Amino acid sequence: MDLTNFDLDELFGFGDDSNPLMMLIWIIPIIIFVFYGQRIQLYVTSNDIKKNIAKLNDYRGESKTELINFVKNNLTFKADPTKKIETFLDYFSIMPVDMDPNGIIPKIQHFVRSREDYTREHVRSLCPQINDLDLSKVQTLLEIASTLQLLHKVTRHLFLTAKKQNNFPLILPLQMMLPFIMEQAEALKDAIPAFKAGQPVGDGIGPMVVGKMMLNTIKKEGAFQTVYSESEFEQRKIYLLKAQGPFSTVGRLGDAVKNLCSQQKFDAIIMIDAALKMEGEDSATIARGFGAAIGGIGVERFHIEEIATQKNIPIFAIIIKQSAKEAVGLMTKEIAETADEVLAQIYDTIKDNTKEEQSVLIIGVGNTMGVLQ
Amino acid sequence: MIFAKKKITTPYTIEQCNSCHKEIKRKFKQGDCLFLETVKCPSCEGMLFIEKIFGETIGH
Repeated sequence: MDLTNFDLDELFGFGDDSNPLMMLIWIIPIIIFVFYGQRIQLYVTSNDIKKNIAKLNDYRGESKTELINFVKNNLTFKADPTKKIETFLDYFSIMPVDMDPNGIIPKIQHFVRSREDYTREHVRSLCPQINDLDLSKVQTLLEIASTLQLLHKVTRHLFLTAKKQNNFPLILPLQMMLPFIMEQAEALKDAIPAFKAGQPVGDGIGPMVVGKMMLNTIKKEGAFQTVYSESEFEQRKIYLLKAQGPFSTVGRLGDAVKNLCSQQKFDAIIMIDAALKMEGEDSATIARGFGAAIGGIGVERFHIEEIATQKNIPIFAIIIKQSAKEAVGLMTKEIAETADEVLAQIYDTIKDNTKEEQSVLIIGVGNTMGVLQ
Repeated sequence: MIFAKKKITTPYTIEQCNSCHKEIKRKFKQGDCLFLETVKCPSCEGMLFIEKIFGETIGH
C-alpha cells in the first residue's frame, strides 16, 4: 500500500471541491474538546467514582448491620442498642497540634487510649454482663464500621466538592487514591466474619508463634491486655511477650517492654510481626531485618525504640509478608504454615546474636484474636 | 465485574495430638481457639489441641 500518495486537503476536507459538512465534522469536535474537554473528562471520571462511592456506602451499611445483628444476637442489653451504636460510629478523634512536635507522642497516646477506654466502658455500661472476649469483638467491629463510615464520608465529600465547583483538577487526586481506598475498604468489609467468629487473622501470625512458645509456661500480666512468660533455650533466658489472647487486641506492648526492661537486663529483642508485602512479592514469605517491627499509630514503636536505645539493646525483626486483605481477614493456610519456619528463624536469631547466660525478649506483635498462649 | 468468579472462603481447624502428633482436619466450630485442648486422641492416650486455624478459598 502506498501511504505517501494522499491529498492533505482532501483528507481534512479543505479542498476547493470539499464538502462543508466534512469540514464541520472535523472542526466541531475540536471546538467542543477545547471548551468542554475538562467537563467531559469530569463526567466520565464521575461515573466511575460514583460507582465506587455507592460500593463504599454498601460496605458502610453492611458493616453497621453486621455489628447491630452481632450485638442483638449475642448480648443482652438493657435497652435497644441501635441508637447508641449509631452515635459511636460518628465519634471522631482530633489529633494533637503538631506545629511543635516535641512531646507529641504522649499526647497521641493519651487521645488514643482515652477513646479506647471510653468505648470499652460505654459498651460495658450498656451490657454489664458482657465478657471480655465479646467486648473486644464489639470494640473491633465498631472500629471497622466507623472506619468504613469515615472512608465513605471523606470520599463523598471530595467528590461532591469537585462536582459542585465543576473543578476537574480537584477530582484527579481522588481518582488516583480511590483504588487504594477501595482496597482498604474491601479488606475491612471482608474481615468482619472472622472477627465475629473469633478466628485468627493474618496479622495474628506473630502472637501465634510466640503463643506456641508460651504453652506450658506461667503467664503473668505485663501491661493492660498484655501477657509475658519466662522460658529457657540453650542456656539463655527467654522472655516471651504478646497481647492477651484470645481477645481481639494488640495489647500495650510498649508499656510491657518498659516494665520488663526495668526489671531485667536484655541482650537482644526479637520482634515477630506481619508486614504488608510489596506488589510483586509473594504472600507468606519470611524476611529478617533490624528495628522495631510494629505498626499502628507509632506510640508503641516509639516506646520500644526509646527503651532499646537507652539500654543499648539491639532489636531484630522477623516479618511475615502479606497483603492488606490477608492481614485483617481470616488467616490463610499459607500464612498459618509459616509458623514452624518462623519459630526456627527465632531460634537461629537467638543462637547467632546471643551467648549463653544472656537474656532475650521475644515479642509477638499483632492482633491476637483467637490465639491462646 | 460480570465475569468475576465469586470466591468462597471456608474456615478449617487442624487438631494435633500432643503425644503421637497425628493431625486431624475439620471445619471450624464456634469457640475454637489456637492451642486449645479439645478431646482425647482417637489413636492414643494423648490430648488433641488446636494447632492451626485457617481459611481455604475456592472460586465458584
